Formats: sequence, structure tokens, C-alpha cells
Amino acid sequence: MSVSAVFLLDLKGKVLICRNYKGDVDMAEIDHFLPLLMQEEEDGLLSPVLLHGSVHFLWIKHSNLYLVATTNKNSNASLVYAFLYKLVEVFTEYFKELEEESIQDNFVVVYELLDELMDFGFPQTTDSKILQEYITQEGTKLEVAKSKVPTTVTNAVSWRSEGIKYKKNEVFIDVIESINVLVNANGSVMSSDIVGSIKLKTMLSGMPELRLGLNDRVLFALTGRDKGKTVTMEDVKFHQCVRLSRFESDRTISFIPPDGESELMSYRINTHVKPLIWIESVIEKFSHSRVEIMVKGGKEFLMRAHFGLPSVENDELEGRPPITVNFEIPYFTVSGIQVRYMKIIEKSGYQALPWVRYITQSGGKQLNIFI
Amino acid sequence: MPYLGGEETVKELRRALSNPHVQGDPLRHRSTVLRVIRVMSQGVDVAGLFSEMVKACATTDVVQKKLVYVFLCSYASLNPELSLLVINTLRKDCQDPNPMVRSLALRNMTNLRLPSLVEYVQQPLTAGLRDRAACVRRVAVLGWAKLHSLQPHADIDAAVVNELYSMLRDNDPVVMVNCLRALEEILKEEGGVAVNKAIAHHLLNRLKECDVWGQCEVLGVLQRYRPHSEEELFDILSLLDPYLLSPSVPVMAATLGLFLSLCCRGLPAVSLAALRRAQAPLLAACGSASPEMKFTALCHVQLLLRSLPGLMGEHYKRFFCGYAEPAYIKQRKMQVLVELVNDDNVGFVLDELKGYCTDVSPDTAQAAISAIGRIGRSYSDQCLEILTGLLGLKQEHITSVVVQTMRDLVWVCPQCSESVCEALEGCEDTLQDSQGRQALLWLLGVHGDRVSSAPYVLEAFVEQVRSEMAAGVKTELLTATMRVFLCRPAETQDTLGRLLHYCIEEEADMNVRDQALLYYRLLHCGIEETRSVLQGRRSDPSLGVLIGRPAEPVSQWARSFNTLEPLRQCNAGAESAPQAAPYHLALDPEPTPGSGGGQLGLSLSPALSPQQFEHLWLGGPQCPHGEPGKGLQAALQRSHIQTMAFTPPHTLPWRVYLYTHTRWGGPAPRGPTLVLGELLYTGGRGLRVTAKQRPRDDEAMKGFLQVLSGALHTSSTGSC
Repeated sequence: MSVSAVFLLDLKGKVLICRNYKGDVDMAEIDHFLPLLMQEEEDGLLSPVLLHGSVHFLWIKHSNLYLVATTNKNSNASLVYAFLYKLVEVFTEYFKELEEESIQDNFVVVYELLDELMDFGFPQTTDSKILQEYITQEGTKLEVAKSKVPTTVTNAVSWRSEGIKYKKNEVFIDVIESINVLVNANGSVMSSDIVGSIKLKTMLSGMPELRLGLNDRVLFALTGRDKGKTVTMEDVKFHQCVRLSRFESDRTISFIPPDGESELMSYRINTHVKPLIWIESVIEKFSHSRVEIMVKGGKEFLMRAHFGLPSVENDELEGRPPITVNFEIPYFTVSGIQVRYMKIIEKSGYQALPWVRYITQSGGKQLNIFI
Repeated sequence: MPYLGGEETVKELRRALSNPHVQGDPLRHRSTVLRVIRVMSQGVDVAGLFSEMVKACATTDVVQKKLVYVFLCSYASLNPELSLLVINTLRKDCQDPNPMVRSLALRNMTNLRLPSLVEYVQQPLTAGLRDRAACVRRVAVLGWAKLHSLQPHADIDAAVVNELYSMLRDNDPVVMVNCLRALEEILKEEGGVAVNKAIAHHLLNRLKECDVWGQCEVLGVLQRYRPHSEEELFDILSLLDPYLLSPSVPVMAATLGLFLSLCCRGLPAVSLAALRRAQAPLLAACGSASPEMKFTALCHVQLLLRSLPGLMGEHYKRFFCGYAEPAYIKQRKMQVLVELVNDDNVGFVLDELKGYCTDVSPDTAQAAISAIGRIGRSYSDQCLEILTGLLGLKQEHITSVVVQTMRDLVWVCPQCSESVCEALEGCEDTLQDSQGRQALLWLLGVHGDRVSSAPYVLEAFVEQVRSEMAAGVKTELLTATMRVFLCRPAETQDTLGRLLHYCIEEEADMNVRDQALLYYRLLHCGIEETRSVLQGRRSDPSLGVLIGRPAEPVSQWARSFNTLEPLRQCNAGAESAPQAAPYHLALDPEPTPGSGGGQLGLSLSPALSPQQFEHLWLGGPQCPHGEPGKGLQAALQRSHIQTMAFTPPHTLPWRVYLYTHTRWGGPAPRGPTLVLGELLYTGGRGLRVTAKQRPRDDEAMKGFLQVLSGALHTSSTGSC
């Protein structure tokens, strides 16, 4: 992987905080980062990898920050990006918002975290739930620092600590689906797919063993059952807690869940869905003076907007940005996916309640409609 | 950033740090240390506080310790002597009952990066390897790697290496993975960890315990393992199969990389099956939320397509661009789309690309137009229709790229020239930039007989030649006017005369003037002479077939899979087909000992015209024609290498341009490749050879260089 150093820069390219992990790249190299970035942007060649001499900058941008990793090896690019995103995730869980201000306000914790997250260019402890057990903002309030090592640092189950206790044992399951529809200029649906995820909020004591049953078509075919509606999932991805080998062999989703909120799995379903919401828009230009935009949604809503315009006109061709619609439909999934059961077994034998909720949301690139 | 009042601040901080009252009050002491770090991260030079900070290190407050360590690690290299003082505190901390303190001390001890401290660090590191707390062992293991990178030439302690090997069986997965990382660093010169069967199987069995980073590391190291039997290979593959479904893109990619390296030797069928298996996860990664991951995945899809052209053809919709995607992703996606085109989807793909041509961002629009041009090599009618339609928009930047694209298209698809010539009428008014106008002039010159208005368009250009800034446009104008003159003398004679007169008498740019003079003298030699020089081929269909391109063997690129390399090629341009790769190597005029190159033969057919050579050399420097050194030319000719142009002998730098085709005589049938070369002699010892090849074939290149050096050797005894 070989990350030489990690930098957090503000938008002007000033270093807010940095950590030199390997010492094999000159830290002053970072001064070339922003000029290079601006140059490439101007040339229309901007990419997430910038090269200066033998030093590569791999960078991502988050709110008003650049997170940059430098390396002079032919390292694994996807791993470096994954680590940078991990940084964002960990910092966000610590500070709610990751931005220039929160870095400045919490730089002690940031230094501590950078120290724990990576050593000699290799990621070490990156699970924020575990980090939070021994690096806390309250630490700054001096409560004679924790002397106990969290068990998770040495645990085989790295995503869950032992000895968690709840008065009431419950687990909440959210099935969230969003639809991506691509519509071409003639109004016909080019492609459509459903992207879904199952999120958990676990409030269970001890080390519970969970099993989730879905109306998975492959599973039903395996067990020779064929009643009721089933779904065919593609690109299924699981949280690291799920035993992948069991899923591969008999489609059982079994796992020891992380405590609190987590995303258990995500999937994609490739079916032809009728768009749930249909938008038509008409843009009419009245020479120089005004433009009329009519947006018609579903059967019930009609929006008509007039804009009075100044008579000065731009020569350039105007782009027609797609219309994005945000919506949420509770208690409904487009694909018809169902949680059939959630079995919870813990050695103390307590009774636990699973709660299930279904939500359909608008997708990322929803309804690109031009008329 | 200069920080005003920095010196004052440092003074004040020093006072505070050495104040016994502050030192006595843990809370105040820590907040003072904190202020030092805060000023430090603002860019103030606080190196002067080093000795005060060393004292602040002796504290029971872990947070304060951490802060002091951050300071010490930043400034240790400036104060090696004072750092010695810290070592004692650190070594004491290594005995602390709290494992967090022990690991902290050990980590920072190795982070000071001072070779002078190595002897003090070794003992605590050795003890750390046997610590009962895993977090200390993790740090200690990597500590050895750090020591080694500090003194890369020091002897390797075999006892440590053995201990690290045995710690691969440590209970803690992170310790195991860190051992791998450390051994890779320490044994770099020997090629990294030796992966035998026992280690490989152990690592495979523990893969599931590791976190994603560890899994990637283990999968990477396993690439070096060669299974002993086919059965073992299949066992490993089926064990790894679930990891292709990992939610983490890096793990999926590392698994794929391992699949490829396990399969690409020997078993082509399995290796192709692995590639097909790779398709779905890679496609899924192409849809990941982070644009950087998407970009990485797209680059790897391109790698895959080199060996399986047309794979994923049915999934072309996954490569349609989203409105808000960054330009680098859009451009990559279009490059992929070009590769995926087949009879079934070409209509849809072109429809989609057509939409991008009018994108608000000119870069995206241009990329889309060039993509259509490349598809046009296989589906010329449909593409030409779109391109012609775009000319109707009369947008400056669009017209320019369309004309350039048409020029490139006509060069490889002569059957398009008819429709292109029709479309060209009238577009000269919208062209503003020099690139576009050069393309138009080239087209007018080569196809002047078919564009009825050609002489009059040229005339308009000639009238404005005084205000023309770009030398490139002027030379192109000269050539074009000459060519049109050859096929339509009556209409062009007057224009040409005025242009030559202007260029010879008034032009300031020497290149333009020389070229005008050359044409002028050429005309004196007679019309037939001129024709034979100026009218070369109009096209070369052999260059650009998109469909049916030979698939590269997986082993060509398997090594660069899942590294930075596929991403780096991003700026190489839209041409994603295997490109002519320039080789630079210094060559001693002595033949290298044979390496099986005897099978290789060179051939002169098909012959290249000077224009073609120039076009192929792509922007290579133009060379004046002179008297070739006869001895060398003959020697090269005997070896079937054609010399294209020479600089006169006894001038420096001395250059020769040459080309040849390689032919394989051996049992393995391989396609011929075209080799273009430049010899450069700048005085002193040795001759520099730059060669370009199309398509790429390393073996053939080796053979070519061998023949060339042989020829040079025979001639060097003669004339040069």
C-alpha cells in the first residue's frame, strides 16, 4: 500500500495537518499539489492522480478540504482511496462534520487518530467504534487517561467489543431502496435498476448470532420452495461481519452484528420498473425578454414559472440540466423484497425483538428528462 | 505561511514551559504543550523549544505524552543530540504496566528516524515482539521494518527474520499482517517474503479474520505463490471466490489480481474464465459512490478489454455518463464505450454520445466527438451522419473538433472521403483555432479534386495570410495549395504564386520560408517531379481497425493490475489501442550476444512514403534532406532496414530516420510489426536509438535492436 504521508489541506492549498509515515518523500513536495491541480484542471485533464517528478499525489476532496496521500511507489490505488475515505468516515463520526473548522478545533484528536489509523504507511486500527473506546474528545478534559486497553484491539471479532449490555434487546432493520431510471430525449426508458441496502441498528447484549431470511429467488430455488414473490439480487455486497462462505454455499446470511448503526448489505436489482414519478418540462423562450418553464409532475401538479430576463444575452449554448426530484415513500419497496425472518441467538438465551421498516427513495440520477 | 509575532510566541511559550508552577499543575502543563503544537501546525518554527519539550515528556498524562511525541518526531532530525535525552524516557515507558503506553513509546521511538539511536531501540523492539499485549507486538513488528528502511544496507539480523516468520502464526491477525509487511520491507532485495506451501495455506485460512487492509495485503503477497498441482490451484480459487463479492472494492480488486496471477501462467482457459468472473464485480465497482473508485475501476475495465475486446458489450448502458460526473470519469467512460461497440448496441451508443457532443463543457464535447470518430472506423455511415449534423450547429469549438475527427477518419477509412468532402463546404467560416484550420487545410489539399470550392477557400486563406499567427497553419496552407495546384492548376495558379511570393519575401518564420523555397525550387524541376514528391497516399486503412483487433495475452498486463499504473496512462490521450511505445536505450556499437533473436527477419515491404513516415512518427522533428553516408545506408539496406532521411555527415547532432517490418520465421505465428527508428549521435561515445513500434511486441523490438547493432557494427569499421 505504501502511503508515504497524509495531508489535510484547505482549499488554498495550505497544510492544516499532516503526518509523515514513512519519511521517504520530501514533505515540501505538497507545495506542488495545488498548482498542479489547478494546471490540470485548466487543461481539462484533471484526474484523481497527480504526478510531480517521482511523487504521486492521490487525492479526494471533502467539503472545504483536500485529503492527499503521497507515494513514490507503484502502490495500490484503490486501497489508498479507500483509506482516504476511511479517514473521512472516522473524522466525521468524531466531529459530526469534517471541514476546515472542525479540524482546527480538534487537532489534538486528529493527531491522535492519525497516529492510530496508520503506521509506517499501513492502515492499523481503522474502525471508529473501536477507536472511540480509547481516543475521546473528553480525553482533553483530563480524566487521567484510560489505562485499560479495549478488548477489541485484541479481539478476533474486530467489529464488536465484548461485554455490551442493554436493558431491552432490540434490533431495527431498515430496507431502503432507490430507483435509477435513465430516460432518453424521446421519453422512453433506456435503463432502470433498483439499488437497495439493508441497514441495522443493533441494540443487543453480548455476542449475538443473527440470521436474516429474505425472499431471495436463488435461496427459494435451492430449497425447492416456490410460493410467493421472490427477488433476484445482483452485485450483493456485505458488511465484513457476514460469513461470505456460508452465503456462497447455501445463501444463508449469518453474522455477529456490530453494535449500533451499520449497513449490513447492499444489492442491485435489474428489472424494468415504470418510473414512479413522471416529469415533463417545457421551456419556452420569448426572444430576449423572458423564459417560460413549465414543469408537469404526475397527474396532480403543474408548475409554471416565468422569469423576466435582462436583455443582455449570453452567446454560449445553454446547457439543459436534468430535473432532479427528491421523494420518499415509506412502507413500500419497489422490488418487493421482504424480510422473512431475523433469528437472534445469544448464549444467555434472552428474547430479542426485530423491527422492520421499508422505505423507497429517489435515486442518485433520477429522471433525466428532456422534452 | 509566515506567522506574525512568531518569535514572541516562542519566547512566551518557553517561559511558560519552564515555569515550575505550570509544571506542577498537570492541567496547565498540558494546555501549554497543546499551545505549542497548535502554533507548530500553524507553521511557526518552534524547534527552539526542543529541550523544554523533552522535559515535558516525563509525565503520567498519556495525552500530553502523545502531543510531545508529535513535536519530537517533527524536530528530532534537527536535534539528534538532544533526542538522545528522550530515549531514556521512552525506554522507561516501554516497561510501563499499561500496554497503551508501551506501544506508544515503542512506536515513537522508531518514528524519530535517527540512525544514531538504532542501538538503543533494538533491545526494546526485541522485547516488544514477545509482549503479551497484541497492540505492542503490532508496533514492534513494524518497528523492525522502520529500522531497516533507516539503514537499508545494514546486515539483516537472521534471528529477527526468523522470529518474524514464526510470528506469522500470531493469534492477532493484525500482528500477522504486519509481519508480512515488515518482512516484505526487510527482505526487499531478496524479493520479499518467501511464500511456501505451508505459509500460503496458513495465510489463506486466516484471511477471513483480517480486516480489509489486511486482506488486501495477504492477497497481494500470495500473488507470488505458485500452486503445486492443478487440484491445489482450483481449491485456492474456490476458497477465494467469495472475496470477489466483498463490499470493499480494494479487496475485490486484490482478489482479482490474485486470480489473474494464479491463472495467467499455463492455463489460458482458466485465465479467460477468471476474466469473465471478474466482469460482474468490476462492473459493480464502476458504479461505486466515490468518483475516485469509479475512475480506478474504469481504468481496470480498460485493462481487461485489452485481452477480451468486446467483453461487457451487453452492459454498455452502465458506461453512460451521469450529468454531474467529473470530466475525467466521462472521458474514461466514453473511451470504454468506443471499445464496447457492436452491431447490436451501436445505435444506442451513438445516440448517447450524440447527446454529449453539445455538453456545456467543451472538453466533454470534444471527447464525445472524437469517440464518435473512432467508432466511425467501423460504422462510418452512421457516425458521419452525426458528425455532419454537428457541423450544422455552427459552434466554433464543435466544428473544430469535428473537422479534426473527420481528417483522422478519412486517413483510415478512405471510403468516407466522399461524404466528408461534401460536408466540408462552408465550414471554414466557423473555424477559429489553428488545430481546426490545419485539419481543414489538410483535407482540402488531399481531396482538393473533390471539393468544388477548394481553390476559393484557399484563396481566402491566402488573402489573410498576413494576419495569420500560427506557423503550423501557414505550412499546411503551403502544402495544401501546392496539392490543389497539381490537380486544378488553372484555378489555383494565381493564388499559389501570391502565397509563395509572400512566404519567400515577407515571412519571418524560417520554417515557413524554407518550405516555400523548397516548393518553389521543386516547381522548377518540373510538374512530374513535383507530383511524385507531393502526392503520396491519401489514406492508410491498415492503421485503424477497431473491431477484430487481436487480443493481448493477459500476462502482458496482469502485473500492473491493481496498481497505480493503469491510472497513470489516463493522460496518454484518447487512443487507447496499444500505442507505439518509444524505447530509449543507449547502444554500444557492439553486437549483443544472441537471445533467440535469430528467428526474426526484417522486411521492407510494404514500403512507406515520406509523408506516411512523418505521419507515423507523429510530430517527430523534421529533418533536412542531405547526402546519406553511403556505407551505413548500404549496411542497413543489407539488413532490410530502410533509411528515410539523413543529416549530412560530419554535422552534430547527426540523425538518421529509418523503418522496417519485422517478420517472424519461427513456429509460433505472430503478426508483423512496423518499427520506426531514429539514430541520434551527439558526439562522445555511444549512439542513441529511439524506436517506435506498432503494434507493440517486445520480442520483435529486441530482435530489431540486435540486427541494427550488427549493421552499425559492420559499417562502423567502414565509413562513419
